[in-house]
Amino acid sequence: MNLVKDLCAELDRMVNDQFDSIEFKAFLGVPLTLERGRFYVIQNALYTSNRRDCWGYVQGGAPLEVKRVVWEHESDELINDPRVGMDHYNLTVKQGEVIGLKREDFDNAQVPAMAQACFHAWHHIAMRGHWLTSYAASHMLERRNNGKIVKGGGMSFRVGKKFENELGINLKRMISLDVHVVADTEHSENISEMFEKYVKTPQDCERVLEGARESMAIDRAYRGALGFYMERIN
Amino acid sequence: MAADVNGLDKVWQELVRLCNEQFESQPFKRLLGMKFTKPRAQQYSIQMAYYVQNRRDCWGYVQGSAPLPVKQIIWRHEEDELIGQKAQGKVDHITLAVKEGEVFGLSADAFEKTARLEGGEVCFSAWIRLSQKSWLEAIAASAILEMRNSAELIRGGSLSHRIGMIFERDLGIPMKKQINNAEHVVMDVEHAHLLMQVAKAYATTASAQEAILSGARESLMIDRVYRGHLAELMESLD
Repeated sequence: MNLVKDLCAELDRMVNDQFDSIEFKAFLGVPLTLERGRFYVIQNALYTSNRRDCWGYVQGGAPLEVKRVVWEHESDELINDPRVGMDHYNLTVKQGEVIGLKREDFDNAQVPAMAQACFHAWHHIAMRGHWLTSYAASHMLERRNNGKIVKGGGMSFRVGKKFENELGINLKRMISLDVHVVADTEHSENISEMFEKYVKTPQDCERVLEGARESMAIDRAYRGALGFYMERIN
Repeated sequence: MAADVNGLDKVWQELVRLCNEQFESQPFKRLLGMKFTKPRAQQYSIQMAYYVQNRRDCWGYVQGSAPLPVKQIIWRHEEDELIGQKAQGKVDHITLAVKEGEVFGLSADAFEKTARLEGGEVCFSAWIRLSQKSWLEAIAASAILEMRNSAELIRGGSLSHRIGMIFERDLGIPMKKQINNAEHVVMDVEHAHLLMQVAKAYATTASAQEAILSGARESLMIDRVYRGHLAELMESLD
């Protein structure tokens, strides 16, 4: 029995299962209109900000070597992704231009109640959990976006395809979604390597699985909430 | 700071006063007043490496809760500490601390195998708790320790400088060979301005300024307790 190999197989099963959940099906089943697309893109920028909070907390709680990996990870996200020449928040804002959004639409955006609750829940795991639990919780959201692992494509790919098929906007023009199709594959592989080094016992495994399960539950709630709000936009 | 912007000049003056006052406290006087023998210097060097690691924990938490532009500032701050400046041939500060240990006769192994001081562990937990409070309190709590280490702000020299001078006096190790101390004497002058850079943009109300002062005061209190524990440990070594 290979502890880490079995663990990774379980994590892969979990991220694939996300797409069979009622919440993901409901969210991905909402027909896109331009207004709904705008809502999604703005909310995705706020989600990205929440990721930055959580990865900061994970960096705070992790051992030194893992801190360095997280710091490198945050370079693309927070400072500059050399693939696009800007950080990922500005990338999302730039992507918004394609669907008529301005920077102030992002700066003035409100997080709806159900999404806010999910953001707090992710904060809680990132700040209060054992570092392996916190680390796994944040990592899983990138693993769930990794097209090499998720059959049928990760979340960014699928949402990008919806923009293409339902609004006629080519995925390449949705620059943030397009970059995340690639970036999260790389990120999740780099981050995953740390499991090889630090998961040595069944207890370590359980800590990772606990973070993964909780984060995936919040992710389902979050996507369900987005679908709920999008359906109400005409 | 030349001009008072929304009362920030008063905040700055108070922070500088608090940092200088640290050196008048009993724990600081006890630590800085003792003779550093080789075993004491070794223990100090090892415990300080743990202190630096705790700083990395706390700055991570501060980065997590701060607004996006401040996260970016902290990320850059952590580059010096956590990664180093590869282009300039500078290593990270943990590696630097271990490397400096060589001049005291310490191996890398000694840093890994020596236990953390118990009282230090308690202080580290207190600092972590502080770093998880509201972000302005948290950033002040971490940044004030770098202000306390800034030669520009502290009359009579920063903590790193004073310790470096003791190593030179008691052990005959010149400052330039104390690569970690020497680096912090320079770096913390630069890093000390981080807090006011942030305060100018975000601490424009009385309550925000009070949050900064509160975080700074609490952190300096922990700092005094920590230095007292260090002094006690070192006194127990001959």
